[in-house]
Formats: sequence, C-alpha cells, structure tokens
Amino acid sequence: MKSPWDMIAGAAVAFDRWVKDPVDPRPLAWFRCWFGLLSLVNLWLLWPDMSMWLSNDGVLPPNVHRDMVSGTRLSVFMLTGYSDMAIGLIRGLSLVGGLGLVLGVFPRCAAACVWLAAVSYAWRNMDILHSGDNLIRIGAFFLIFARSDGALSLSRGVSRWLFPRAAPDPVTPYEPVPAWPQRILQLQLCIIYLAAGIWKTMGPTWRNGTAVGLVLQLGEFQRFPIPDFFLTPLMSQVFTYGTLAFELGFPVLIWIPRLRLPVLLAGLAFHAGLDWVMNVQLFQWQITAYYLLWLKPRRS
Amino acid sequence: MLVAVYTLAAFSWTMPAVLFPPKAAIDGIVTRPFLLLGLWQAWDMFSPDPRTDDICVEMRYTDSDGSVDRRMLTDMVAMGYFERWQKDRWRKYFNDHLRLDVEHQLWQPFAEYAVRRLRMEGHDPVSIELVRWWRPSQPAVRPELRADVRLTPWNSYPFHRWGVPREWGR
Repeated sequence: MKSPWDMIAGAAVAFDRWVKDPVDPRPLAWFRCWFGLLSLVNLWLLWPDMSMWLSNDGVLPPNVHRDMVSGTRLSVFMLTGYSDMAIGLIRGLSLVGGLGLVLGVFPRCAAACVWLAAVSYAWRNMDILHSGDNLIRIGAFFLIFARSDGALSLSRGVSRWLFPRAAPDPVTPYEPVPAWPQRILQLQLCIIYLAAGIWKTMGPTWRNGTAVGLVLQLGEFQRFPIPDFFLTPLMSQVFTYGTLAFELGFPVLIWIPRLRLPVLLAGLAFHAGLDWVMNVQLFQWQITAYYLLWLKPRRS
Repeated sequence: MLVAVYTLAAFSWTMPAVLFPPKAAIDGIVTRPFLLLGLWQAWDMFSPDPRTDDICVEMRYTDSDGSVDRRMLTDMVAMGYFERWQKDRWRKYFNDHLRLDVEHQLWQPFAEYAVRRLRMEGHDPVSIELVRWWRPSQPAVRPELRADVRLTPWNSYPFHRWGVPREWGR
C-alpha cells in the first residue's frame, strides 16, 4: 500500500518526465502551421481598421491612451513612440511572422515577429481585444522557445534536398525535440477551459440552464440561422449544462489516453457549433490549433 | 520548474478571487512579467452571466446644410455575414467600452475622429451626437424572442453631443 507521500512523489516524477522527455516534433509543427495561417487571417481582418484603432488620428489619441495604460509592456511603440509608423511595422511583422510560421522558415524569429505585433496592437488599444488575441500572444510567445521546425518546414526540406543524408534513419525520421513549450501550451488549453467553466458556475443563468438560450437571442452575437427548436427552454438547458460539462470535463478527461481522441472530437464539434451560431471572429478556430498539440502521431 | 510556475501563475491569473484565496499573493508576483510579455489573459466570456440587453451604438451628425444623417456602428444583425465577422472588434470597442459612462474619456476622441472621417467623405458636419440603443432581452427562451424577429421596442439615449467649432481641425 503506497502512502500519500509516495503517490505525490510518484506524480511529481511522472510530471517531470512528461515535461522533460523529448517528443515527436510533428504536433508542434502542425500547431505552428495552423497557428501561423490563422495569424495571417487575423491580420487580414484587422488590416482595414488599423488606422482607426491604432493611429494618432484614430479613436484613441495619445493623450487619452496615456492615461489608460499602466505598467510596462513590450511593444514596437517603445521604439517608435506614438507614431503611425508603428502600424506599418505591426503589419510587416505580422505578415512576415505569419508566413514564416506557415512555411517553417526561421520559425523562432517568425514567432517573435507575430508575438511582437500582437503585444503591440494590444498595448495601443486594449478595448478592441478578444479572447483570440490572448491565444495569439501566448501561442507565439512560447513558439519563440520551441523547436517547431522538426517537420513541415520549408527551410528544413530545402536543406535536406541540398545536403542529403547518406542513409536516412528509417526508424526515427523525425528527430525528437524538447517538450516543455508544447507542454506549457497543452496546460494552457486546460487552464482556458477550467477558468471558463469555473467562472460560469458562478452565474445564476448558467446554473438555471437559461444562459445559452439568452446568448442565442442577443443580436450582437447572431451569426448563421439556427433551427427554431434550438430556442426552447429544454434545448437551452441541454446546451448550457453541456457547455459546463465540457469546459469542466476537458481539463480532466484529456489526460486519460483512451478518452483523448473522443474529447478532442467533442471539442471540435463544440467549437464548430459555436462558430456557426455565434459571431466571435477567430477564437473558435484559433483554439483548434492548441488541440493539435494533443495528437499523438503514428510512427512512420 | 518553469512549466509548473507558469501553470500556477496562469491558473491564479484567470481564477475568481473568491474561489482561489492565494490569488492576490501570486498575481502580485506575476503581474509585471505577465503584462511585460503579453501573457495576461481572461477566459470569462458570458460569465458569470451573459448580457441581458440588445445593444447598438449610433453616430448622428448634422451637416452644414442642415441635413441630419445617422450611422449605426454596431447593428450586427443588419450587417452581412462577412461584415459582421470582420467588424467583431467594432462590437468590442463600441458596445463594450465607448457606450459606457465609466469610459466617457473615449467619447470626445471618437467624435473628433468621426468629424475627420466625414470631412474626408466630403461632408461638413457641424454637430456630432453619439447615441446608445438598448432593449431588454426576455428571461424566457423562445424562437420569437430572437433579436432579428423580436418586436420589443428599442430605447435610446444621446450620451454625447459636440457642436463642431467652425475652425476645428482646418
């Protein structure tokens, strides 16, 4: 019979191994590609309104912005000051960084570009941010430290083509990479669902089953048409309690290997449904990038 | 170690204070690095409860010839599918921030921005008015209570007026 102390020590050792043992590079590479593509889509959506949100002649002139920000935050505005030149820099960094991530060309530099662009527009106008921006900043930050070009990398492909190895190793064609950036992002995904679920349990409408019905009736979030029977008290309860169950269940069930794939598929269905009924731009897409980190590739 | 520390910090940052007593102490330590590096985060959309009002923000202006025109900035239901998707940040800015009394410092800068834009379009506005629109959502859940078909009347209130000085910005 193991003592509680032994069990805690065993869990600590298992966690240490989970974090430190090198991993297959493909999940990080899949994440990098999909994340980079979505960063480019984010740039495309933000581009037309950038001067309105971020310029000195926009909705938030420097004298007003100065009174609203607190604390030091890294951004391109540290270099440019309150200058509209920063908008060009943010666009350039996002574009170069996004392309670099998609193609796997200097992915650490590319991630740094995407991260710097994201923290910069976040600093200049915090009132336009949504949850998807959190995912971009956090994902790009940890990609700076990740070796994400172990697969699906143009530069790696070119280098292999130019300098072919004498005898490619048929057993391990993908060289393992340090796991910790991937582990942090996996844990981040669990924190997202756990926090979202816990906050919701504090609200009366989430506890009485009307919350989702009320959201579906709000005009500002309406997207594509939904069948009338979705807007009934019964379905509202199903969706409300289903949301709570999923968000509170994900951070627990995802650790059980046999349940991992069903949980991820349930999550995809959950976010696809939300994306259909609710207009919240890119969040539902961006979170799917974090799902890729949980996949276990087949050995080739 | 780094993974555990970050996980604890992010967990503390995102938790409600009432449910996680060490939050104040941990957040006190991690606030500076989180803000500095852009790692701050919140995952409390629609919580603890979703909003119970439909909301829009409108900008009205009077031209120098006396004509009055109006632009609904965040009437998402009236927009096409792509436009409402692209303008999701408009909803964040106007409905969640500019509309509120506690964010009144945003009102005059937006009025001035609107004048600059209108002049670029060839107008000559002499006054700008910002109007908030709202109507309560019903506590019941029924198909006919959806925003695009609901008959509940709207309320409106002009929350900022600015008579544009003739020489302003010229």
